[in-house]
Amino acid sequence: MIVCVLFPRFALATALGDRGELLQAPTALAPEPGGAQQVGEVSLAAEAFGIHPGMRLGEALARCPRLTLVPSDPAGVADSWERLLVRLESMGAAVEPERPGLVCFDARGLLRLHGGIDGVLSAVRRAMRSPARFGVAPSRFAAIAAATRARARRPEIVRGGSDAEGRKRASAFLAPLPVALLRARPALADLPEALERLGIRTLGELAQLPPTALADRFGATGLLAHRLASGHDSALSPRPASEYLREVLELPEAASGTQLQRGLEMLIDRLLARNERRGRTFRSVVISAVLVEQGGTWREQVVFREALSDPVRMRLALVPRLEYLPAPAESLRLAVERFGPLATDQRSLLDDPAAARMARLREAIRQTRAVAGPDAAMRVLEVDPDSRFPERRAVLTPFEGSSALPSPSGAATDRADRRR
Amino acid sequence: MSGPRRLSVPRRVAVTAADDGCPLAVDGREIDSVREAWLIEDRWWTEKPLRRRYWEVVTTCGRNEIVFCDLRSGRWWRQR
Repeated sequence: MIVCVLFPRFALATALGDRGELLQAPTALAPEPGGAQQVGEVSLAAEAFGIHPGMRLGEALARCPRLTLVPSDPAGVADSWERLLVRLESMGAAVEPERPGLVCFDARGLLRLHGGIDGVLSAVRRAMRSPARFGVAPSRFAAIAAATRARARRPEIVRGGSDAEGRKRASAFLAPLPVALLRARPALADLPEALERLGIRTLGELAQLPPTALADRFGATGLLAHRLASGHDSALSPRPASEYLREVLELPEAASGTQLQRGLEMLIDRLLARNERRGRTFRSVVISAVLVEQGGTWREQVVFREALSDPVRMRLALVPRLEYLPAPAESLRLAVERFGPLATDQRSLLDDPAAARMARLREAIRQTRAVAGPDAAMRVLEVDPDSRFPERRAVLTPFEGSSALPSPSGAATDRADRRR
Repeated sequence: MSGPRRLSVPRRVAVTAADDGCPLAVDGREIDSVREAWLIEDRWWTEKPLRRRYWEVVTTCGRNEIVFCDLRSGRWWRQR
């Protein structure tokens, strides 16, 4: 039995923040800088004009000239969503997040604990502390469809297990629903429009078509759509329970270029110096930034080719990503999304004296930090060496053995030049 | 872990200045000579613009000092 928890317009509501009254007006998330010119989530009033998420910006403005566009807040959305997922996980649910605002989990393991599905839903409602809509069904797609039909305090429940009887009930529930629900599955986002053009308006009509005809016309996506409409779906693959490790750097003066690069290097050093890391490598991280002048936020996920704990290699992978930043940043964040195995250096055939010295230095730093805290070993990092204001040129940051190499841009500059 | 700590942060200093703004004494030590003076203006496009007149001076006891007058508040600061 799959439970789907849906927060309608989660990304839009998060981006609006305390301007919630805009949800009553035609409002849409603006296209992401550098991305496709398509609107994101839209308000109910915008839907009344025929605007839907993913619509071209030009078409959306043509349908509603007074449409309000709100800069997206991907970092804020990710933070809020992670908090909600952790609350769900803390009550024992193995969750599979579909997208921010939509998550599914299998309730079978929780039914006895909470005395049935109603008890589970009550527990989830208490844990989430935010108004959500609940759908319960034998398959994931049917549960998502049920959640979209549910009301705020009235969950939509389709009884049945994952057997043939359950699939039959799910199929019967889905039959009168519109094919537009297939947009919930990213691979099928473009299919509903084509189906509607062919006169197929409900999932029941889709399920009655022969699968071979659908495969012939639409290929694999057609077969997938038929399976979903017939009450089938793939099994959930819950995410592994995560740890949240993050470092934030507030930038008093809006930063870009070299300053931002130095800030990122500092965040890498601070993240590597955290005790919670316990010697593990990083498999993937997320860089995010709050942009100046209320320009929203920017977020970029970086998966390393191999798990890393070497700050130099991490810099090589992360610093080029800063070029995608659409505007100067007010604050920069670096979070670990997934840890790798414990950092183990492979030994070379011949001992490298420099590597041996570096290893001793790292060990000395580790012991010093264990005794005197993480601020025990620091280094001077030139943040903006050409600044005319001396207090902006350098900061103290945690010392990491291999990161203490002189940087080419940190060359001495004539003080007289700085004054001009 | 604490955040990054800035270096060369300005510290308040007592300066006696002439009418034209030229410092005469720093922390009670008289000025022997003024080596250089320069003006810096920045962030004028924000609500907190920075306007400083720097003085590099040598006191009679031989100390080389860099002080500046914050032209918005009129206060004096020492900076290295």
